[in-house]
Amino acid sequence: MNSDFRIIIQRIEKYFTRRRDTEYYLQVVNDQYDETYNFFINIRPRNQRMHSIPLHTVENYRLSYLEKLINKIMEQYQFSITYDGFVGLRWPMNQELIQKRRHKDE
Amino acid sequence: MDYSKEPHGVFFLIDNKSFYASVEATMRGLNPLKELLVVMSEADNTNGGLVLATSPMAKKIFHLQANVSRQRNLPQDPRLIVVPPRMNLYIKRNLQINNIFREFAAECDVWPYSIDESIIDMTKSWRLFGDSPRAVARLIQKTVRHRLGLYTTVGIGDNPVQAKIALDIYAKHDPELLGEIHYETVPEKIWTIANMTDVWSIAKRTEKRLNRLGIHNMRELALTNPFYLKQELGLIGEQIFAIAWGIDRTRLADNIAPKSHSIGNSQVLPRDYFDKNEIETVIKEMGQQVASRLRHHHKQTSCLYLSVTYAYAARVEGERGGFSVAGNLNYTDNDQEISELLTYLFESQWQGQPVRNLAVYSSKLISKTAQQLDFFTPVKQQCQEEDKLAIIDEIRSRYGFQSLVYANSLLKGGTAIHRATLVGGHNGGNAYE
Repeated sequence: MNSDFRIIIQRIEKYFTRRRDTEYYLQVVNDQYDETYNFFINIRPRNQRMHSIPLHTVENYRLSYLEKLINKIMEQYQFSITYDGFVGLRWPMNQELIQKRRHKDE
Repeated sequence: MDYSKEPHGVFFLIDNKSFYASVEATMRGLNPLKELLVVMSEADNTNGGLVLATSPMAKKIFHLQANVSRQRNLPQDPRLIVVPPRMNLYIKRNLQINNIFREFAAECDVWPYSIDESIIDMTKSWRLFGDSPRAVARLIQKTVRHRLGLYTTVGIGDNPVQAKIALDIYAKHDPELLGEIHYETVPEKIWTIANMTDVWSIAKRTEKRLNRLGIHNMRELALTNPFYLKQELGLIGEQIFAIAWGIDRTRLADNIAPKSHSIGNSQVLPRDYFDKNEIETVIKEMGQQVASRLRHHHKQTSCLYLSVTYAYAARVEGERGGFSVAGNLNYTDNDQEISELLTYLFESQWQGQPVRNLAVYSSKLISKTAQQLDFFTPVKQQCQEEDKLAIIDEIRSRYGFQSLVYANSLLKGGTAIHRATLVGGHNGGNAYE
């Protein structure tokens, strides 16, 4: 848990430069091919291309682990997070749907 | 044409559709064919950014060329996703894909051709998986898509060159991503190709030479006298004549022994270098890298080759664009001896021009079986020097290249420390092995 958390936070610090007119959000992907959770930070200055930078690949493929990890990240940063590949799955602790509906290119 | 004596087999040439871009799309849970995504290297020698791969949809919508366009040609469109390259991930995926292929053919019949292409000799095994080669190709495509999320294009042929042309010309534009060429269909499939440079092994220069002989399409090439082609173009003339007839007598299993090996490295510098010391710093670093790779492969060199290309501004002034020099030395794999000769070669030719590209190659290699002592240095000193290099290599292999660097790499202009983390000049991996 700690090493995954540390790597993600370190890299967020590096890329989250708080530029104005720029949208920053995290993307978490349920990679069913590799059985991993992939973290990205997406950075889009207004009306420009989006940069999608890989933060980390979490090998521990359990939702309960992911939930704890994300809660810990959210204690430090209040990013919005988009989830991909989680349709139909619920968070084990609070039983909410992770991803409400399928995105258009999934 | 009598093809009965030509080798007949079932060959697949399988390539990944926009490989790097597709891998990045699947990592983000996106469909590789629908997403607008480009992989852009922003290493500091790319002058702002170099597009390595473009997803099929991005090519279509923004009219981007297939690969290596510049950052400045890329539109600022909020729909576009730009991602950094991860070379190690692509290598891992390539191995996974080849492992899937090995489920369909024996290990010795799968031949990786490049990072995203493989040749599979299905002659002996295709019947196990379907009623026709096409059905088997379909099955392989579905397996790769199911397990890794990637789309593959398959060229099918009676020999490798037919498979390659079927892939390049037909499969890439086919809705099922399949293309087929057989001996019987050579006239309709190969001779009808309008643009000769679309054919594997024919590029602009060859096309120009063929045009000069009055040959403007594949049909004319096939109907030309082969002896005339050989007389005008040499061995290549024979080879492309065979391709025009869809003939390929390669036996993939034959072990090709290269006449000579060489080990070398090249790089584009992050900016124009004007200062002699800076350029020599990089040349020394490259010498050390080549020496380190020689030791890793247990080889010694007796011939070094240095190639220097000048900066773009210096090139258009009408002078020569750079120089290449070679020099001989006693068999060695020693950092210092190699660097010294390279510096000497550089100083013998350089006259103050700004430099942008550097390449260092070592050739005339022999296997290192023992250390050659010389008369002029104390034996103890020579042995210690040898041990020192062995220790450096061991420390680096255990803790990474950056754990122990020559102080000159810290000088202004040195690139070794930064480049140590790159693979093929892009993000990810170790280049000193």
